[in-house]
Amino acid sequence: MANVTREELPFDVLFVGGGPAGLAGAIHLKTLAQKKGMEIEVGLIEKGDSLGSHSLSGAILDPIALKELIPDYLEKGCPIESDQCRDSFYFLTKNRSFAVPFTPKYMHNENCAVISLSRLTRWLGQIAEGLGINIFPGFAGTRVLFGEGGKSILGVGTGDKGVDKAGKQKSNFEPGVDLTARVTVFGEGSKGSLIREIGEKMRIFSIGMPQIFETAVKEVIELPETNPFLTSEITVLHTFGYPLGMETKGGGFLYKMKDNRISLGLVVGLDYEDPLLEPRQMFLKFKRHPLIGNIISGGKILQTGAKTLSVGGYYTMPMLAVDGALFVGDSASMLNSQRLKGIHTAMKSGMLAAEAVIQAFEKNDFTRKTLGAYEIGVEQSWINKEHYQARNFTQALSQKGILKFMHVGAQYFSNGKGMKDPISIKEDSATLKKLSKNQIEAAKIEEKPEYDGTLFVDKLTGVFLSGTQHVEDQPCHLLVHNTVICETQCYEEFRNPCTRFCPAQVYEIVEEGPDQRRLVLNPSNCLHCKTCEIKDPYKNITWTCPEGGGGPKYSIV
Amino acid sequence: MDIVVLVKQVPDTESLIQIAGDGVSIKTDDLKWVINPYDEFAVEEALRIREAQGGTVTILSMGPAKTVEAIRTALAMGADKGIHINDPIAEGSDSLGISKLLAAVLKKIPFDLIIAGMRAVDGDNYQVASAVAEFLGIPQITQVTKQEITGKKIRLNQVVEGGVAVIEADLPVLFTAQRGLNEPRYASLPGIMKAKKKPLEIKTVGDLGVDAGQVGVKNRKVKIAALKLPPTRKSVMMIKGEDPAALAANLVHKLHEEAKVI
Ligand SMILES: Cc1cc2nc3c(=O)[nH]c(=O)nc-3n(C[C@H](O)[C@H](O)[C@H](O)COP(=O)(O)OP(=O)(O)OC[C@H]3O[C@@H](n4cnc5c(N)ncnc54)[C@H](O)[C@@H]3O)c2cc1C
Repeated sequence: MANVTREELPFDVLFVGGGPAGLAGAIHLKTLAQKKGMEIEVGLIEKGDSLGSHSLSGAILDPIALKELIPDYLEKGCPIESDQCRDSFYFLTKNRSFAVPFTPKYMHNENCAVISLSRLTRWLGQIAEGLGINIFPGFAGTRVLFGEGGKSILGVGTGDKGVDKAGKQKSNFEPGVDLTARVTVFGEGSKGSLIREIGEKMRIFSIGMPQIFETAVKEVIELPETNPFLTSEITVLHTFGYPLGMETKGGGFLYKMKDNRISLGLVVGLDYEDPLLEPRQMFLKFKRHPLIGNIISGGKILQTGAKTLSVGGYYTMPMLAVDGALFVGDSASMLNSQRLKGIHTAMKSGMLAAEAVIQAFEKNDFTRKTLGAYEIGVEQSWINKEHYQARNFTQALSQKGILKFMHVGAQYFSNGKGMKDPISIKEDSATLKKLSKNQIEAAKIEEKPEYDGTLFVDKLTGVFLSGTQHVEDQPCHLLVHNTVICETQCYEEFRNPCTRFCPAQVYEIVEEGPDQRRLVLNPSNCLHCKTCEIKDPYKNITWTCPEGGGGPKYSIV
Repeated sequence: MDIVVLVKQVPDTESLIQIAGDGVSIKTDDLKWVINPYDEFAVEEALRIREAQGGTVTILSMGPAKTVEAIRTALAMGADKGIHINDPIAEGSDSLGISKLLAAVLKKIPFDLIIAGMRAVDGDNYQVASAVAEFLGIPQITQVTKQEITGKKIRLNQVVEGGVAVIEADLPVLFTAQRGLNEPRYASLPGIMKAKKKPLEIKTVGDLGVDAGQVGVKNRKVKIAALKLPPTRKSVMMIKGEDPAALAANLVHKLHEEAKVI
């Protein structure tokens, strides 16, 4: 579709992604500009059909950044589920649980609040709209507009709509537009698809310290009014151990919400080695563990979903400013994995970016020279303080056996330096171990999970409960570069882990005869978690944005 | 050609629907609101007629403050102006009350054609558009999948059980849009920017000269006694079998023994 004419729509500043990073940035920018009497036209695009639709988190919010952004956030109706964060921490074995008497200081959440990110995002969106920010939900950024020689960024192009499976224009074809801006702020969250393009062109990511990720499946469950957990003291519960064991990073969380609801999820480090591991199956096992099973008994799933987290932290942060653009939030590795929190740092990074943008307008210079003030801002802020002492944390947890605890322990008493600084890591796509004959034999005896349709549901019902919908007749947004690998080598070596790590049954291998098989894609099921692009052992999958407005319709997760 | 499109803002059917404590309404906290899908067909058809013949497209809607989002969506698609009946007195009206208010607006503005969705996906009453036509004393044609205007005449295809009825009428008429009428366009980004500057009038019950004793929740002629959710979706079951014959046999067995439908 080369001969499509695209309208250009200029803004002063464009935010890509309506998560906490982008929204806090836009709100802070507009507020500062108003205080200084500056006229700055701000646009924000979000691929979800509305703000909050693609927001999924735990979540325990450290309100530090929110207080700076909107000091009277409580009076303004910020949706808080509970301001009582009483921590409990359990080690799980298959059938038992042990309360850990000592929780490390970074796990303390006294001054935090339980929230639903989807709700928080919607609320931030209303504030942003009230300030005159142009918010465009349902529009995905699909092309980075580079300046001459790919050395600067001029804006972002939105995707075409109304294109059929074969790439032909339908009767309602609507071409994407070129949104240009003096500064574009990228806040696409974990594993952004545009920042990938920028990374390739402008080399903003470190090669030695790759970005690493975790993936999570989560549900909001409604408990019957009579459930004793509702009146118990516990409001925040974290677990480690079963079902992941000690060699796979991750753990479970359970937070008490309003209206007899709880938030329940399991986070799994994507550096896992066993190709047969299935994160969603692990989550179901976690739910059936007696500690959790007792709490949720009689409950009903209201909403479910999945999302990845970028957990590499300090050493994996990219270059934060280039000519014409800034990178904020999870896209820029702002999440602090030691505290399992990224909302506060996402918001703060957006706000620091906004401050640099104001300076750029004051100096009328939008190159890295002025925008680089954002990098210094991050370095001098509390983001850096939190991050620096956690700089080797995830990396330590990726170590095997007893070494893991030695690293973590040493770091605890040395402000994060530990026994080796930095600890090197592998990309998540490189950690799977090839299957042995025995494992393949064992895999044939599949465990049959039981579903009741209410508290335990299969993958497709899960997709239904996430509200996910895409226009069916559109080009497939998952680019599998070489399906021969899937059907031969990947089958032999790993038995197609995509069919397991995808929480939404997007990938299926259909047996077509003796030693004949075919990869079948169900892109309409996609929850936009991006696990596939991260974990595929051959880097054979590229995730791109489907037609804007498609995807989950989260509202309470 | 002056066209008026009746539009309703409804909960997205994919969003989390839960019955509220009163048992006769749904919880609205976590709902997403969209323009009624059938009304999108109506807006699209109006825009196509205007594009072919010239004229104006006016969006008329009734509902609380947030209804303005649905009107803005229609304006972003390309409609020219909006009229929003927003009055707490009118909230909770039944179909009859709503029709009275919409008709009251229409009595004061010129129109050649009124288009509405054939039903709203929330209440599913199929009533408002018909009642509006009755109040205005104009012909109404429901469930239309095709229209053609020549001069002062309109020819329409109406879906009837098992077939199509071709109907002719003199303008002005009201017709309701059925799926298949067209493929609605997207609200474009430039369209959304332009929509912000398009005229949007707000009307109260008083402005329209309608007796407040005929509208609102207290004056409903139809009252909802109870709401029930449809039965929950059962998990998918994969039928197993070595070959097509075995698969078919197993399927028949399940349909007969378990589902008891054959
Ligand atoms: C299961 C789980 C539990 C968590 N628990 C906590 C917790 O307890 N406390 C805490 O503080 N943090 C927690 N986090 C982390 C936190 O949610 C993230 O750090 C935070 O959401 C990052 O914000 P962001 O704005 O950078 O990205 P996101 O929140 O991911 O938002 C990015 C937005 O950009 C949109 N987008 C992406 N690409 C495009 C594009 N090309 N065009 C248009 N739009 C685009 C996306 O749809 C999305 O809405 C958790 C995360 C997960 C997954």
